[in-house]
Amino acid sequence: MRLDFASMCPPVFRFRSAPLLAVVASFVLGACSNNPYPPAQQALREDGSPWLVRYGAMPEDPRSLDPQVCYDSVGKRILEPIQECLLEYHPFKTSPYELRPCLLTALPEKVERAEGGAIYRCTLQQGIYFHDDPCFPNGKGRELVAEDVRFAFQRMADPKVECPALSTLQDYVAGLGEAFESARKAGSFDYGKPLAGLQVTGRYTFEVHLSQPYPQILYWLAMPFAAPVAKEAVEYYDGKSHDGVARDHFRFHPVGTGPFRIAEWKRNSAIRLVRNPAYHTTRFPEDGWMPDQEALLRPLAGRSLPLVDEVHMTIFRETIPIFMLFRQGYLDGMGLGKDAFSSLMTPDRNLSPKYQERGVALHRDTEPSTFYMSLNMEDPILGPNRKLRQALSAAFNTQAYLDIFHNSVPIVAQQLLPPGIGGFQPDFRNPYGFDLAKAKALLAEAGYPNGRDASGKILELTFDVNANSADERLSAEFEQKQFEQLGIKIRVVENTFARLMEKLDQGSFQIASGSGWSADYPDPENFYFLYYSKNLPPAGKNASRYKNPEYDRIFEKMAVMENSPERQDLARHLTALLSEDVPHILLMHRSLFALTQPWAPRIQSNPMLEGGLKYVVLNNELRDQKRREWNRQALWPLGLLLGSLLLGTATAVRSYRKA
Amino acid sequence: MFAYILRRLLYSVPIVFGVMLITFVLFFVVQSPNAMARRVLGPKATPQAVENWLHNRGYDKPLIVNTKPGEPVYDSLFFNQMRRLAVFDLGTSDVTGRPLKQVFASGALPSLLITFPAFVVGFAVALGLALYLVFVRNSAMDMTAALLCVALMSMPVMVYIIFGQYLVAQVLNYFPAFGFNLQGWSTTKFLLLPVALMVVSGLGAEVRLYRALFLEEMGQDYIRTARAKGVSNTVVLLVHVLKNGMINLITLIVASLPFLIMGSLVLENFFGIPGLGNVLFTAIQAPDFAVVQASVFLGSLLYLVGLLLTDLCYAWVDPRIRIQ
Repeated sequence: MRLDFASMCPPVFRFRSAPLLAVVASFVLGACSNNPYPPAQQALREDGSPWLVRYGAMPEDPRSLDPQVCYDSVGKRILEPIQECLLEYHPFKTSPYELRPCLLTALPEKVERAEGGAIYRCTLQQGIYFHDDPCFPNGKGRELVAEDVRFAFQRMADPKVECPALSTLQDYVAGLGEAFESARKAGSFDYGKPLAGLQVTGRYTFEVHLSQPYPQILYWLAMPFAAPVAKEAVEYYDGKSHDGVARDHFRFHPVGTGPFRIAEWKRNSAIRLVRNPAYHTTRFPEDGWMPDQEALLRPLAGRSLPLVDEVHMTIFRETIPIFMLFRQGYLDGMGLGKDAFSSLMTPDRNLSPKYQERGVALHRDTEPSTFYMSLNMEDPILGPNRKLRQALSAAFNTQAYLDIFHNSVPIVAQQLLPPGIGGFQPDFRNPYGFDLAKAKALLAEAGYPNGRDASGKILELTFDVNANSADERLSAEFEQKQFEQLGIKIRVVENTFARLMEKLDQGSFQIASGSGWSADYPDPENFYFLYYSKNLPPAGKNASRYKNPEYDRIFEKMAVMENSPERQDLARHLTALLSEDVPHILLMHRSLFALTQPWAPRIQSNPMLEGGLKYVVLNNELRDQKRREWNRQALWPLGLLLGSLLLGTATAVRSYRKA
Repeated sequence: MFAYILRRLLYSVPIVFGVMLITFVLFFVVQSPNAMARRVLGPKATPQAVENWLHNRGYDKPLIVNTKPGEPVYDSLFFNQMRRLAVFDLGTSDVTGRPLKQVFASGALPSLLITFPAFVVGFAVALGLALYLVFVRNSAMDMTAALLCVALMSMPVMVYIIFGQYLVAQVLNYFPAFGFNLQGWSTTKFLLLPVALMVVSGLGAEVRLYRALFLEEMGQDYIRTARAKGVSNTVVLLVHVLKNGMINLITLIVASLPFLIMGSLVLENFFGIPGLGNVLFTAIQAPDFAVVQASVFLGSLLYLVGLLLTDLCYAWVDPRIRIQ
């Protein structure tokens, strides 16, 4: 039987319309591709070479790009290439970390201060200009001068700015805390008043005055908090109207001196950075890389930066689309989260052969961070009973915890200091790491044989956890079971994040999860201060309320010393004290897997840099080739779909006409 | 008519006030302003930073009633915010400091570009299918369609999104799996897949509902009379059933129209569309009370406008109804 589609179809679907439909369909498909990006700013550079665009992902919009405010990793990742700092980390030297001048001509010169403390003398490089921006006369960026650094330090003390570094730096930078308090009382900050802690001594020279010794100030000079800011930019972009146009705040319009500037920021969608053609502050390092990178990096040594022309950062709130775009070649790299872990990794924690064949490379990045559970030293049961704390620590199988809840990616923490921080001992083993037999023996020595006290009553402890998700509840259940292997009873108390923070501040807990510290700078002081007795909550971070005069004495000495073998010894001593006193149950140093495409090899993995965008390299030709190969469109499924729709419609019409 | 509209608008004032009060209480029962500041500023925030953050945003005031001696009772967080909203000053985001008028203005168009076409296409397709199913009622085709509709209704929207992204964007490579670029004709490629998924995910429920409404009309006396007079099936369906059935549908359609601007929370997130659904999702996660509160305020206003329009439309299309 021959089907007469023409007579079955309504007029619009009759075959005389079919060519038109086919043309429309092919036009729609022809206009469509699965490339989600707009065209690059330009196709070629001035010299005719390809314009290189780096494609990356980030989880949300930066909350603030104000250098004196930005403290979160998303913001820092965008701000780092825009707003350069006085000093910077060498991208390749991470053991130990090395600071090198960025906007300064050399590392600051330290001299003693007559009133006590120290003075750091700094000289800015000459001929560095802010990005061209409408905030400057004729839109041309002006030269960077020492007054811009003073303005930045004054902004730190302005209560309206909300600088997170203030609470630490006000203890050291002369006059910073007083300036904050007086502005708070007056209701506004007086930028005309001099700041004792930052004295401008010439057009390009200035001094940082510290009221007490604080060698870590150099690390702060490598953070955006101390990065110079043009007063014109803040005054122009402060939310006011100019020429009848309402402008955004300065926090969304950073005007820096860095290798990139923001070309476009589509809120909730993407940020596009383009190279600053006038950038000449730093060049590609000439040494410091690993020997196996010699062939790749030697040709780049001393080259002007940045190495790519444009950076397109897309905001992804879900991880599945990241994985999809990476597979299609539309992302140059991605972090490996839980969702894609099983698809990409083999059970022995290697990249699956399918992706190895594609040329994808796997990297394991360990953050300079340590996570732990806090034990309350002021608790009447835990505080005076060191053996009990040791038993709890030895009962916890951290490796099993990491295997189950973190895909075995992080490293079991053996000490408070993470790898890479001065004083870290690679061979050190936590004397109260997992050993159930030892834990039971310690518990008996603590006065609780088989988990019972002298009267036969089972020891019961509360365990405060942050439980916002099913994963966190499962994790809490696992942790509870670990402790209960001792025969004791653990009562889990579920909290929101904020409530748990409140409990840690108030000291109203026995055992609490959710404690951890990520390095602001790679110095042991930045970790050991967590257990300094003068750093108690709510102002400080010593949530365990650990008080040990010997620890304090050594910490005070170590904190103000320059790096030296003697300082390393003191750091080791502090580790030994904490390991024996057990004010915490150590968990992990957070590690993450990251993947890079074959055209975007990873050249540095310094965790103190936020991406190091000025150093990234790219093989444009290879990327274009792979993208074409991986994204071929098949037209037959579309034909099949249209055919099915037409057939369905025809059948319906036919049955209608029959009726 | 004018008096009726005015009266309805006046009724809406206490309703909006009540909605705002409930939102305020619920939000701050879950977390105090202090806890909110802690979450926004992160675990490293010092008490000084928290206090400064609260002060700069007015969260250091008493929540609802100010009982401090010498200060007005109404000088509280809730009443200060209500005073602002009363003159449509939405304020600024607690997290980014961005003016919320700007935030909502920039998010409305991307949301509408998804929801409006999806609404129109979804409505047209569902209407056509429902009429056809009414025509072939109680047949094998009708039963099959009912099964299909129930299957479509049973699947969570996430399944449609993930499957659609995988099949259409990843395997067939027709459209981007993610992203949005508002730039002339090329914008279409970012819209087709989310719109199609939105239509398909809502189709099952809509077809079932419209079919039920039209079946009710089919049982009316006037349809029997029309058939007895020899009126054709096409005229019965497209003139009598559709026209009268639409009176019932108007309630649903007009009331949902204002909500199109609010976008789709899940879809926008998975496709990276910077619409208002995305804004609200981010605000809840942050948490950004200013954005949540402004969204609820606008949402409740839109809802009330939708209801008012529905009532007016009823009077317009149904001669039996008179507005007094």
